[in-house]
Amino acid sequence: MPRPRRRVLGLVLALVVLTALLTLSVMIGSTAIAPSVVWHALFDPSAHPDQFAIRDFRLPRTIVGLVVGAVLGLSGALIQALVRNPLADPGVLGVHAGSSFAVTVAVGVLGVREARGYMWFAFAGALVVTLLVLALGSTRKGSSPVVMVLAGVCVGAVLGGAREAIQLTDPDAFDAMRYWNAGSITGRPLDVLWPVLPFFAVAAVLAFAVSGPLNALALGDELARAQGVRLARTRVIAVLALTLLAGGATAIAGPVGFIGLMVPHVARWIAGPDQRWIFAYSVLLAPSLLLVSDILGRVVMRPGEIPVGIVTAFVGAPVLVVLVRRRKASGL
Amino acid sequence: MDFGRRALVLRRGRIAVRLPWRPVVVCAVLAAAGAGMAVLALMTGSYALSPGQVLSALTGRETGFVQEVVVEWRLPRVVAALVFGAALGVSGAIFQLLLRNPLADPGIMGFTQGSYTGALIVILVVDGTYTQLAGGALLGGMATAVAVYVLAYRRGVKGFRLIVVGIAASAMLDSLNTWLILKADLDQAMSAAAWGAGSLNGVSWNQVLAGGTCIAVLLLTAGALSRPLRQMQLGDDAAASHGIRVSPARLGLILVGVALTATVTAASGPILFVSLVAPQIGRRLARSAGITLVPAAFVGALLCLASDHLAQHAAPTPLPVGIVTVVLGGGYLGYLLFTEARRRL
Amino acid sequence: MSSTLTTKRGLAVAAALMSASLLLTACGGDGDGAADTAAADTGGEKSAGTRSVKAANGTVEIPAAPRRIVTIGNTGLPFIDLGGKPVGVTEVSDSDLAVLPKEQKAAYEAAEVVGGSGGDVDLEKLAALEPDLILVQFHSNDWDKVGKRLESIAPTVLWGLDTEWKAFAGEIATAGNVTDELGRQKAEFEKKVAAIKETYGKTIGDTTFVDVSRGDWSDPGTFYIADIGCSEIARDDIGLDLPEAAEGKDPLAYESLPFERITGLSKYDVITYPVDAEGRPTEPFVPVTETSTWKALPTVTSGRALGVFCPGNNSYGPVLQYLDSLDGALATLAGKP
Repeated sequence: MPRPRRRVLGLVLALVVLTALLTLSVMIGSTAIAPSVVWHALFDPSAHPDQFAIRDFRLPRTIVGLVVGAVLGLSGALIQALVRNPLADPGVLGVHAGSSFAVTVAVGVLGVREARGYMWFAFAGALVVTLLVLALGSTRKGSSPVVMVLAGVCVGAVLGGAREAIQLTDPDAFDAMRYWNAGSITGRPLDVLWPVLPFFAVAAVLAFAVSGPLNALALGDELARAQGVRLARTRVIAVLALTLLAGGATAIAGPVGFIGLMVPHVARWIAGPDQRWIFAYSVLLAPSLLLVSDILGRVVMRPGEIPVGIVTAFVGAPVLVVLVRRRKASGL
Repeated sequence: MDFGRRALVLRRGRIAVRLPWRPVVVCAVLAAAGAGMAVLALMTGSYALSPGQVLSALTGRETGFVQEVVVEWRLPRVVAALVFGAALGVSGAIFQLLLRNPLADPGIMGFTQGSYTGALIVILVVDGTYTQLAGGALLGGMATAVAVYVLAYRRGVKGFRLIVVGIAASAMLDSLNTWLILKADLDQAMSAAAWGAGSLNGVSWNQVLAGGTCIAVLLLTAGALSRPLRQMQLGDDAAASHGIRVSPARLGLILVGVALTATVTAASGPILFVSLVAPQIGRRLARSAGITLVPAAFVGALLCLASDHLAQHAAPTPLPVGIVTVVLGGGYLGYLLFTEARRRL
Repeated sequence: MSSTLTTKRGLAVAAALMSASLLLTACGGDGDGAADTAAADTGGEKSAGTRSVKAANGTVEIPAAPRRIVTIGNTGLPFIDLGGKPVGVTEVSDSDLAVLPKEQKAAYEAAEVVGGSGGDVDLEKLAALEPDLILVQFHSNDWDKVGKRLESIAPTVLWGLDTEWKAFAGEIATAGNVTDELGRQKAEFEKKVAAIKETYGKTIGDTTFVDVSRGDWSDPGTFYIADIGCSEIARDDIGLDLPEAAEGKDPLAYESLPFERITGLSKYDVITYPVDAEGRPTEPFVPVTETSTWKALPTVTSGRALGVFCPGNNSYGPVLQYLDSLDGALATLAGKP
């Protein structure tokens, strides 16, 4: 099939899959609720507790999953384009460690106990660490994948050590962080989402704005310069968008890894090397992956649930191994 | 990173002659510093003892509680820090020598997370004893190492591929560990986490002797196996990027390196980053062209002891040594990035 | 792991022995504190000043009237609750400190902190306090690590984590020589239990209860059914009909349930949930009460969701406060159909 047709068909298919999963996410949960009740809850509401369960928990969770998934996918695609490294991922680069550390400080030192409160700490921590890692990992010749990963690991480890020091001296903080560190999209009321949405919107616009120049960047700095791309400006905008996306996603859901790593690869496989298409596909495909993982986590260990971050790590780590074994994919 | 020929290989006069005594002097100085640090560590503690009391306890002229504190509490801890530190230094040197990449560190490649998983399973699932915990950690670390190596093997093992597989493994194991800790009650989880931070608190002679014996055997093996390596040293990064052929000596060395780390982890919990930093510092001090095992061992020993001292006495509450080494080592790694790595990688 | 001597009769015998030995008290500690005598003499010479207690670490010779007690792990608050004044403690969490009565908080703060949790005890600091008795409850792995050394400092009494709370309180009182207070608290406890059973016998007999809670460690959007802690006391001592984990399974409380399971609570007649001393839902539990699902539950709308204050469940003091609170909650049910 010629690529243009394949691209459009793929988009339609991705939308169908996403719609199906959004529906499933409202239908499936820890408790069995009849489809008819789900239908009434959404379109013919009354004060039945079961209906509240749909409207209060499953629907917000699905919406949070949709937004966080899209944001994770886009941030992954963006960082891979920016550092020209198909193995880059906000989690691998220490962003999660930064958020975890900031949240631990909020919980352990300042005594913040509310998700709405420590969300901003997570955001700030992610921003600072993303900038730090990108600064450490950029050489004059652009950014080297090894140095970037090295920087992420190094910053992540130092902050992880500091985090453990706080946690070990404060059982309360330890206990609170046990859950946060898993990464999950349950119990986030939609009003956690609203304050971050403007950031996401701005970041998404910025990301798509630089997707063209990033295409040129993929050919190498010299060639990009020859095509009239302003390297510095492109990089700054991309980094800004990236930190807003990765920081916001972590602030809402905690450290959910691997989605941002895997989805852009699938997108590249369908859409080819054009970043604009890769970004679009990543935005559509990532929520599907997140929702599938979340639905799995809801049903595997009934009546309890497995936090989605743990499911994605188990799904994602093998994929990363496969990718790195494919010489072409890893470019190594 | 540039791992050229080792300074001491003076065959065929291809290398400008370096002062061969430099590494020897460096090691002597490091040993003296280690000894000084050990004396300081034996003298300090919240149980107040005069230097005279410490000395007479060491020479066997004290009995009772003073002797208990010095000989049974402080001394094994000092010896453990030195021996474990040396083991970690050598382990790191082996990995860096073979894989030509400072990232090829047991702590980064998921081995320690694997050890932690093994220990957690023993603590939380089997509710086992402290000895079983050490066994679980040993098994977990070794199993992870084998899995990472096998998964990264494709017509040889390339340093970077090994690292990425290692990072994948450690992310997955991290999640598994998080999950295990979620399922535990707080007392169990705290106990596991305290172990997971890597602490020399409460190290006894039994642990030092058991761990030390293993480590001594492994170090001797490493020395014997590293001989043929000198002929195998490839000169430049280009060669390194072609993947590394597996020879029995190499495989043996890698096993020794993993076993060294796993032994220390089993005895004290994961003490990260000593293995990453010590060979680098050792190389700079000895001004050798490549990574060498002996300076790495001395630096590792000193680093571990100094970190433990800081961990015990610098913070308001005593911290596990692993936390200090992570922060120090990570800081040093950052410094390395800023200088060398930016130019060369 | 768990220690013996749990029956009431055993306790009574122990108490009798104790008061007898009190009359014979001779000072057990060597209080001159010079370094050369700092060695704790565990040589087992039975002077009039010592007695032996059974513990998880065997039979231990302890001073009859210990003066310098260090509490490690979970023994601190129960010992302080019995009026004990330890010289050294390990850290307790802020949430536990927050609900301590003032004089108990003062006792905790007067003590030297010799370590955090997780078995990380600063042994030298502990030894420098020259204790004559160490009371320990923590994970057996931690004991494997530091137990022998603790015993070399002073006589050490260990309890496993699975010790039943009444036995635990009784044995701590015996070891720490605060049995008078224990006797008073025990009597009060039994009186309260009997009174509740008598007053609300009918309600207790034909009502199904469920106790739900959330910790500040709980993942957002989850709660749990509390079948351990205070509700265990409600079930075992008062006889409330509360759900319980199957034999040999982990307690229900270990399982975080997603909020949508709140709907399933309507199958119980009465829901109890955690409140603070003023009767407001505890901070971690507020998110549950804010959900429309909770507000729409028939149990809640008919006023059969009762807040109960549980400041702790490992010693009599907090448990007595809990019983008072439960008493008040049950009283509100009386008038309801």
